[in-house]
Amino acid sequence: MKKNLKKTLSVGLAAMMTLSLAACGGGSSDAPADTTAAQSEAAGVAAPEAKPEAAASGDVKTIKLFHRFPDDPCNAFIEKKIAEYEAEHPDIKFEVTSAQNQPYKEKIKVVVGSDECPDIFFSFCGEFSERFIREGLLMDLTPYLEADPEWKASLMETQMNEYTTADGMVYGIPFRLDAKEFFYNVDMFNDLGLKAPETWDDFIKVLDTIQASGVVPIAEGNQDKWPGAHYLGALNEQCVPDDVRAKDYDPKTGEFTDAGYVEAFKYYQQLVPYMNMGVNGMTHDMARLGFTQGQNAILFAELVEITNIKQENPDLNWGMFKFPTIPGAKGNPDLVSGAPEGFAVSSKTAYPDECVEFLKWFLGAETGAQQAAEVGWFNASLGVDEGLTDPSLISAYEVIANAKKMDIWFDNALYSTVCDEYLTQISDITNGDVTPEEAMAKIQKVAAEAQSLAQ
Amino acid sequence: MKKKTNLAPYLYIIPGLIMVLGLVYIPVIVNLIYSFFRLSSYSSSMKFVAFDNYRRLFTSDTFPIMIRNNIYYCIISLIVQVGFGTFLALLLESKLAGERFKTICRNIYFIPSLVSLTAVGLMFNFIYNPQLGMLNTLLKNIGMADLQQTWLGDKNLAIFCIIAMSQWQFTGYITLLMVVAFQNVPNDYVEAAIIDGAGPVKRALSIILPLAKEQLLVCTIITVIGAFKLFTEVYSTTVGGPGNSSQVLGLFLYQNAFLHDDMGMAAATGVLIFVITVTASIFQLKISRSGEV
Repeated sequence: MKKNLKKTLSVGLAAMMTLSLAACGGGSSDAPADTTAAQSEAAGVAAPEAKPEAAASGDVKTIKLFHRFPDDPCNAFIEKKIAEYEAEHPDIKFEVTSAQNQPYKEKIKVVVGSDECPDIFFSFCGEFSERFIREGLLMDLTPYLEADPEWKASLMETQMNEYTTADGMVYGIPFRLDAKEFFYNVDMFNDLGLKAPETWDDFIKVLDTIQASGVVPIAEGNQDKWPGAHYLGALNEQCVPDDVRAKDYDPKTGEFTDAGYVEAFKYYQQLVPYMNMGVNGMTHDMARLGFTQGQNAILFAELVEITNIKQENPDLNWGMFKFPTIPGAKGNPDLVSGAPEGFAVSSKTAYPDECVEFLKWFLGAETGAQQAAEVGWFNASLGVDEGLTDPSLISAYEVIANAKKMDIWFDNALYSTVCDEYLTQISDITNGDVTPEEAMAKIQKVAAEAQSLAQ
Repeated sequence: MKKKTNLAPYLYIIPGLIMVLGLVYIPVIVNLIYSFFRLSSYSSSMKFVAFDNYRRLFTSDTFPIMIRNNIYYCIISLIVQVGFGTFLALLLESKLAGERFKTICRNIYFIPSLVSLTAVGLMFNFIYNPQLGMLNTLLKNIGMADLQQTWLGDKNLAIFCIIAMSQWQFTGYITLLMVVAFQNVPNDYVEAAIIDGAGPVKRALSIILPLAKEQLLVCTIITVIGAFKLFTEVYSTTVGGPGNSSQVLGLFLYQNAFLHDDMGMAAATGVLIFVITVTASIFQLKISRSGEV
């Protein structure tokens, strides 16, 4: 008897554990459906002909939004605006999640192909998004823009171009605009009688003068490897013709055999002696501190960093100049390095119209003006600068508004393995471990391999 | 009476078995299968490429660097964490110092291993910073400015800086594990040895260490496996740089999976890590003749 009891107990326990395990394994997507079914049953909803989804949702549409700005003031701004939108649209509810830049890039890749994909999510323009487009995961926004010419006209064309594929498909709307400029310490320049250089030779002379005065001219930290890529991106723009770059940046046709690439590396090498020590041993943020604390005279930085520069030293008297032009180089000196960052809509969303409607408002002129004032970032709607009083933000806006054509961030433009190799080589060149020719040979090898990898 | 088969033990085993199968063995096999395909995390298409992932892995320029770095980490960790850590444990269990002092030391040694790896990585980023960092400032202030380095930014030093960070963090962990093992050594043997006239060194080598052999083996295996799974320490400091000089297998796997959308290549790297760690563990179990006293 006793033995039997023991046996029954153990059988029962084992069965329970196995069952609970099976429940864990079963798709979590079943669970909410079950609960809602149970709920409607319990509530005695007698609507057998109605679809269970509609009955359960009570006509509230839940839109999932995933972004990469978890830090304030931006996060607080997004939350505030979404709360406003929800108040005005009682039928729409948002589920907002966010992650820091690096983890974001990894997480979005995992969720975007799954059923858990957010309806609206942040996505960099260029290759980052285009790999999703190749899999049909992003919604084509072109029909919506065509249907609403007013909306289309209200967005800055140079910026929208960056969110358009070669075939003309618009897949995202910019949330913040950005470009890379040289920031300089105006007081230091004045003391030495220098003015912002326009050509490469002037630039080198300026650097020599600063160095002769005992100050390390350029603040640069390349531990994370992308800051160096922005130098090379800007130099490639000038040294390599546009069509050659376009061909090489496309993973299916990339070769990187143009002599201009080696030349760009050589110009970069020229700058390295003017940078602070330990470029590869320091992050960009730490290097920026050198500039904001007055130890260095020049910093190659993004416009969105103005917010940080002001935080780190509100009293710093700084100005900006464009990347110096290299006379006689074969590339395009009019390009401005930088790209908008914006939101895309999943092709799997159940509420495409609602998502677009929200983006129209969220990335529109009215919200944009508040965003410019509160966060210091601009979206692509025309006129967001009208209420601005801060001179540094006004000059930042001018950089973008006056740009004839943007050129997407170098590290976003390249196929991931090619990008990785390029960043590795820039890092090695900075340390003086390889020559430009050796570096390009390695990049060419990876580019050739990438041709077969890119579907 | 006919002997009845007793079902109960098997039923007890089933849940655990299912868990181990589902969470360990099946993923290992699936991973092996994936390593013959080309696929990404967001795409539904899979392309069979046979051994191409392995070919690319073994012929890549980074491959020898990664293996070298993992082996450096392994050897240095064995010497410092297991070797020096065991030595510290012997000192802590010897009669050289008072009980209270020993307890304090034990805690001090153990505390670093409680700190999250990412936090340690961040902290060492500051310590190694060439301009503002503690290490260079210290060297300057004690008049050894010649020894100042760019540490994490130097191709030849980066991996050793990362290894040093791990030694700082985990030596105390091994020490604690060994202290526990030494405490389990019956006091009778030690006392008998003292009566026989054995000095502290002789006692340690002939009595205490052989009796704590199993624990020493566990520590060695943990360290070797840890060395080949190395990831967070590198990810939170150099991310493989400068150039590729501090690249390791674990980070390479991760970058292929989530940066290059090359799950097949990541799976192949995973298989390699698995083979290395399993071989190393079997080898250690064999040479140490585990289970025998």
